[in-house]
Amino acid sequence: MAEPVISIANLSRRFGEKIALNSVDLAMPRGAVYGLVGANGAGKTTLIKHILGLLQAESGSVRIFGLDPVAEPVSVLSRIGYLSEENDLPGWMRVDELIRYSRAFYKNWDDAYAEELRQRFALDPAAKIKTLSKGQKSRAGLLIALAYRPELLVLDEPSSGLDPIVRRDILGAVMRTIADEGRTVLFSSHLLDEVEQVADHVTMIRQGSIVMSAPLDDIKASHSGRSLDEIFVSLVGAPNT
Amino acid sequence: MQSAAAAFAWEFGWPRRWIPVAIGVYLVAHGLLKPLLLGSGATVDLGDGYIAFALVPFSFTFMYFIAVFSFGLNGDLAARQSIFPSRLFTLPVSSAELARWPMVYGLAAMSMLWVIARIAAWWPLALDLPIVWPGMMMAVVLAWTQVFMWMPYGFRGLRVALAVTVLIALDTLVILAINYKTSEAALVAFLAPQLPLAYFCACLVVARARRGVVPDWHMFSRARRDEAATSLSPFRSMAAAQVWFEWRRNGRSLPVLVALVLPFELFMLFVGGFGSAGFVFEVLIAVLFTPIAMAGFTAATVSKANPFARDPYGVTPFTATKPITSVALIAAKLKMAMWSTFAAWVLILLFIPIGFSWSGADAVLIEWWRSFVDQVGMPRAVVAAVLVLGGLMLGTWMMLVQSLFVGLAGREWLIKTSGFAGLVFLMVIGPIFESIVESTAALRWLWNYWGLFPAILVVLKVTAAIVIARRLSRSGLIGDRAIVAGAASWAASVFVLYGVFVWWADTSLLPRYLFLLIAILAVPLVRISAAPLALDWNRHR
Repeated sequence: MAEPVISIANLSRRFGEKIALNSVDLAMPRGAVYGLVGANGAGKTTLIKHILGLLQAESGSVRIFGLDPVAEPVSVLSRIGYLSEENDLPGWMRVDELIRYSRAFYKNWDDAYAEELRQRFALDPAAKIKTLSKGQKSRAGLLIALAYRPELLVLDEPSSGLDPIVRRDILGAVMRTIADEGRTVLFSSHLLDEVEQVADHVTMIRQGSIVMSAPLDDIKASHSGRSLDEIFVSLVGAPNT
Repeated sequence: MQSAAAAFAWEFGWPRRWIPVAIGVYLVAHGLLKPLLLGSGATVDLGDGYIAFALVPFSFTFMYFIAVFSFGLNGDLAARQSIFPSRLFTLPVSSAELARWPMVYGLAAMSMLWVIARIAAWWPLALDLPIVWPGMMMAVVLAWTQVFMWMPYGFRGLRVALAVTVLIALDTLVILAINYKTSEAALVAFLAPQLPLAYFCACLVVARARRGVVPDWHMFSRARRDEAATSLSPFRSMAAAQVWFEWRRNGRSLPVLVALVLPFELFMLFVGGFGSAGFVFEVLIAVLFTPIAMAGFTAATVSKANPFARDPYGVTPFTATKPITSVALIAAKLKMAMWSTFAAWVLILLFIPIGFSWSGADAVLIEWWRSFVDQVGMPRAVVAAVLVLGGLMLGTWMMLVQSLFVGLAGREWLIKTSGFAGLVFLMVIGPIFESIVESTAALRWLWNYWGLFPAILVVLKVTAAIVIARRLSRSGLIGDRAIVAGAASWAASVFVLYGVFVWWADTSLLPRYLFLLIAILAVPLVRISAAPLALDWNRHR
């Protein structure tokens, strides 16, 4: 059996008194789209930050491509594309400068693909990042996360930044293409209809604990074909915020 | 809370309710320490080291009030947009009222600060200070800073350039007025009308900012920019890309600040009544130390994350998720600081000959240089000049990068504790120095054991270096070979410097080991080596 792209065992993390992650176990094999769902503050971003090596495991272990992302950040990060929820692209850069700067870090950067994405996302190369709308900034972030065809694409709440048209017409198609090429997508969201449309596998998280992790079809089958929204409410017991 | 006035008072006052307590503690400490350090009944003059104890917290509070009441802590100072918080624009009050309350409370805070400074000067320092104009000067500086901060601009960076230029011009005028012994009434007559004028301007700029007006003066550069957008060549390496990133973020601030301040300093040479040789040297020293002083101001931004990031102390995900080592990120910062220092010193070395020759003050310097050459010989004079210049350049660079290991650690408690410790050090160093100089017993002890101090510092430096090297090795951030190579380069630099010192000051009066200790202390090692560890600690929390 192929080694999982993401392998997390017994991961726990506290911030002061608050338990952010509680004995999380997760294994994500290659070549699928994984939806990480949970209410705001459930621990989705904390889990993603552990995957990226931005947080160190207090207990348990995190392995990405079989490597520790904290001990070997360069080897891990060069294979991950990441779209941050924070929209922290440097405002002083122009779009073309952002592309030029980002391409220096990735051997597999594909200029033609980057240009194709830029045109598809309708980004003016001479525009400063700070003059872009929130949606355009997210598109720019997505461009630099995709242009080197990463083995693992991690999207933290892409729905909060991208406008509905990009989400529906572009993001879904991009995720499917990546999965079809044998690469992996992990995206977090609290919009369950969106997760239902594109994810092959769903992991639900509540108060730092994984309450369910299974293929979407299995989840639906075991819950008599109910929608993901209804299943989420029945499992998590709280409204989807 | 029934009025805008009360709401603004709460916004400014509540988060800073510790200030009156701190002032009370400071005054009590003042009252207790002065008799202890100087003896009861002793008077203080401006030459006393003890004056630092009074001036440092006063200056810090002044700068803090400027930042708070102009909303200067809220965003990007170099941005074209107004820095006035946009959340306040939606309040159901007029633009005049939005401008008024921060100005009124700022004026009140500055007046209070001056009253306290006046009390501290009168008791226990027994200093006779002017009554009104310094307080008014502080209020005027704040009022104009508020106008410059809240105004939208057509070019990025224009706010900083304009604010620094006008405020330095204002300072220069007042310094000249003091020099010419202008009366307090005349100074008040010069300063007082500026307050309503600044208020009027503030109302206008806040109204413009509220309407979303941001002038665009880029029409001349747009064609060039569009051309540039199609002709960007790729970076040679990720290290080159990161140096470019750092330079664009922070590298230009130091040379720009030096370029703004330098003309005012050199202008003093042209003012009548300042023709003495002593004054020429004072201006020269001020000019030579300008890059170091300005580097002190810009150093905080070098280690700061994106001001708009969620965690202002952390590393932004944009940078933290780049596949580049923490050591390479630090190397880019060090290289950027080097270029920034170089650019600042090119300006200094360009302006000094121009300023001094045009003013005729170069004759004083040439005369001094000849006499120096006569005393020590040309080779030693040239080496001394190179050492001084190199030391000042190294000092500028160090000022930019020495606090990286604190700032990049990303822990608020560490940054604030370090800032507070620095403040306390600046406060106490003057009185300590003063009490040593005035004590015969202390001076005698120092004469006998003064070699101990550099020796202790060397032991501390080398111990810290060993601890850091072991941690770097254990963390895998730097390979063992690189650590050994770095240590060897450092040791070689120390021995070269030691050799130069021994050759230059070939005397039996000073023991040679002292030169070695000074060389060890002079070549940077510990703080620079600790920076990758600090960044890594922050990057993987």
